[in-house]
Amino acid sequence: MDIVAFLKSLEASGLATRIRDSLWLFPLIESTHVVGLTLVFGTIAIIDMRLLGIASTERSFKRMASDILKWTWAAFTLTALTGSLMFITNARVYYHNFFFRTKMLLLVLSGINMLVFELTAGRTIHRWDKAPSAPPAAKAVAALSLAIWISIIFMGRLIGFTTTRAGVVAPPTGVNFDDFLQGTPGKSGGNPTAPPDHK
Amino acid sequence: MKQFAEWLSTTFLSVFIQNHNGWIIPTIQSIHIVGIAVVLGSVFMIDLRILGWAGTDQTLRQTTSRFGPWLTGALCLQLATGILMVIGEPVRELVNFSFWLKMFLVALGTLIAAIFLITLPKHQQQWEETLVNRRSIKSLAILTFLIWVCIIILGRLIAYDHVWGSWSPAAKA
Repeated sequence: MDIVAFLKSLEASGLATRIRDSLWLFPLIESTHVVGLTLVFGTIAIIDMRLLGIASTERSFKRMASDILKWTWAAFTLTALTGSLMFITNARVYYHNFFFRTKMLLLVLSGINMLVFELTAGRTIHRWDKAPSAPPAAKAVAALSLAIWISIIFMGRLIGFTTTRAGVVAPPTGVNFDDFLQGTPGKSGGNPTAPPDHK
Repeated sequence: MKQFAEWLSTTFLSVFIQNHNGWIIPTIQSIHIVGIAVVLGSVFMIDLRILGWAGTDQTLRQTTSRFGPWLTGALCLQLATGILMVIGEPVRELVNFSFWLKMFLVALGTLIAAIFLITLPKHQQQWEETLVNRRSIKSLAILTFLIWVCIIILGRLIAYDHVWGSWSPAAKA
């Protein structure tokens, strides 16, 4: 199966259809994605600034990493999951989008960057764990990490601005919060003919 | 409010942002997201310390002197970028249910943070020894975190105000 056919089948899946047809599922998934990514970046930035010697310099790096990184990974899982859900609703459009591709490339780079840390300064933590400043290799990784993650956030926001109405998105005809509040399914208070505005 | 928003959209700065809509708005929004990441990250660390789930090698005071200034600084950045977004798209923001609910929660979240950051140094011993162990304070830490999570969700929902149905002022217009 070629990639476009595969993406098409993702779009046609029951889950993707369900999200597209709902007025509130996509907004809720996207909001959760933002909550996840703010925790990812917020916690990574704390670690990076420790490595750069900007903040938390009096603390053990090992202790900070074990305190914080589990939350980073939990938040990353949430972000990847919600990101995948958004992707399948309009897979071909995202796949061909320049900012989406750049964002995926940057995510791979952040992984490689992490690997570089593990192979260099990560091996000698016992030597600099309590020192206010980490070795040059760790500082380079930390600076690059901050730059990569900030770029990822910018790319993510630009995807929203460039994919809106780019594809043939079926007008949502699902329910909204009114239906929960009033218990009258199908009677939406919004404008069901307006396509979702991903901005 | 609608009239005020429409007047605001005719001002010089607003027209300037609208005319460069291609890149100014996404850039400000991205900076706003980086800023809220610093806010939520800082709140998260202070709350985890209160709960005793992280940072227990530090005193409460050490934790707040590490994250308090970043929280305050990031909130100022949020205010500045937020105001620019309102000026750039006044009707989208001001005639919007999610926006006003978010503003209410921002005021509440900021008030709780301010009270905490101001009273802690004054009653440090009491905070470190007794208050931090109280169940009510631990519950308040979780509640504060949830308030900021809701603020982020509502911020994104400004783009999707139709989810509120008839509660959205845009639906009536």
